Amino acid sequence: MTYFLWHSVFSSNSNVFGYSKEQMMAYVFLVLLVTSFVMSAPSNDNVGGEISNGTLNNFFVKPISYLSYWLTRDWASKLLNMLFAVFEFSLLWFLFKPQIYFSQSPTQLLLGIFLTIISALIYFVITKLAISVAFWTPENTWGFMFIILVFMDVLAGSIFPLDLLPKSVMTFLQFTPFPYMIYYPIAILVGRVDLITALKILLQSMAMLGFWYYVVMKVWKKGLKNYAAVGI
Amino acid sequence: MKTFRVIVRFSANSLQQVLSNVPVFLLFFFSKLVRYGLFLLFLILLFNGVSSVKGYSREQMLLFYLIFNVIDTTAQMMFREVYRFRSLIVTGGFDAVLTKPFSPIIRSLFGGPDFIDFGVLLIIVATTIYVANTYIHPSWLQIILFLAMIINSLLIAAAFHILVLGIGIITFSVDHLVMIFRDLTALMRIPVDMFTNPIRSILTFVIPVGIMFTYPAKVLFGLLSWQLVVVSFVFGGLSLYLSLKFWHYSLRQYQSASS
Repeated sequence: MTYFLWHSVFSSNSNVFGYSKEQMMAYVFLVLLVTSFVMSAPSNDNVGGEISNGTLNNFFVKPISYLSYWLTRDWASKLLNMLFAVFEFSLLWFLFKPQIYFSQSPTQLLLGIFLTIISALIYFVITKLAISVAFWTPENTWGFMFIILVFMDVLAGSIFPLDLLPKSVMTFLQFTPFPYMIYYPIAILVGRVDLITALKILLQSMAMLGFWYYVVMKVWKKGLKNYAAVGI
Repeated sequence: MKTFRVIVRFSANSLQQVLSNVPVFLLFFFSKLVRYGLFLLFLILLFNGVSSVKGYSREQMLLFYLIFNVIDTTAQMMFREVYRFRSLIVTGGFDAVLTKPFSPIIRSLFGGPDFIDFGVLLIIVATTIYVANTYIHPSWLQIILFLAMIINSLLIAAAFHILVLGIGIITFSVDHLVMIFRDLTALMRIPVDMFTNPIRSILTFVIPVGIMFTYPAKVLFGLLSWQLVVVSFVFGGLSLYLSLKFWHYSLRQYQSASS
């Protein structure tokens, strides 16, 4: 949908919000790949249920922490998802033959890929934080997660590049985890930001990951104290 | 009349269920409003940088999106029970539905309307009326045709959901088909004219989501020829007829294996 929307926009404009058609098409196509990698997480559909029905107990006796267990499963799923995404990407490329533009700097491309990996970790941490609400309201494991996913849907940048937003909104969003998930990795890969800014974004994303990791561990610890395996 | 009374009872039960947990209702209600609001915001922002997209003005694009949501949300609200149909089939609970003196298809389609969607729908309809009245000024004929096209869209949506129920009986798979339908309908947040051929033709005449979502808005703008209006109604009637035929066929395949 976004491809055809932007295709229509550029059919009568050569430059929109500072984006050339090639840059925008690169952005739209990369959203497909980055979203498949960052936002593929079977843990989202299982963790809440395992807390509410008490099967979380099984994991207490295993020699791996529960969150690490799901992190590994999520990453296995991401790799599988990437295979399909590359296939879809190639098919769409073959069908539409878009002219797309990537950053010419190998360093910047590497930074973009590295940031994508950090983004996947931020996504994991944030979604586990949202779903940990199940420790307190086991009958409602999806509600809070739903609202986070709604915000992610738009504010992560999967529908449009976030620099279309007013500068003040963009500045505010920098302090939330959302733009680090889709927008920033792609902005670096398509050369929307220079190398210094890319490095700054990378540092910010690592700080973001560290902060939310700390928060989720605290909340998880408190949740486990509250956990009573009521579903058993 | 009996059918209508039973549907009202289903709706009352569903409403009671929603109201039993007000915070969750509010959470979902707010989230859905945010989702629609953010996309509307995006469309408004987009038109700060361009004057028209494929010949459509900002107000027309907003209305395409709002009308998409009116139809999509109404269909989701009405046919929510379809999402729960699989468990009836795999547990054999469908036997109990078949033995009751009430149409199983009505029970499977309208058995549990979603009242969170109903609250959202009221707001979307009010916004649509406001935008249409302020910027488009349609004639009475356009409004009547538009309402008829909306009903036609809901018939197509019903036909698709009946098809899903039928396939669910035969294959035990419901969720994936519904998700595919949701993905296809999500494409129609923008007018079908923005897609290039052959995708545009497929989305209009093979999987008629273009007829469902874009054509009612075009009727309201006075941009749809009478021939295409007739074609839309033919598609609506035909798809419902064929889906009912398929439903009867699938009922004959039901083996009540898990009961």
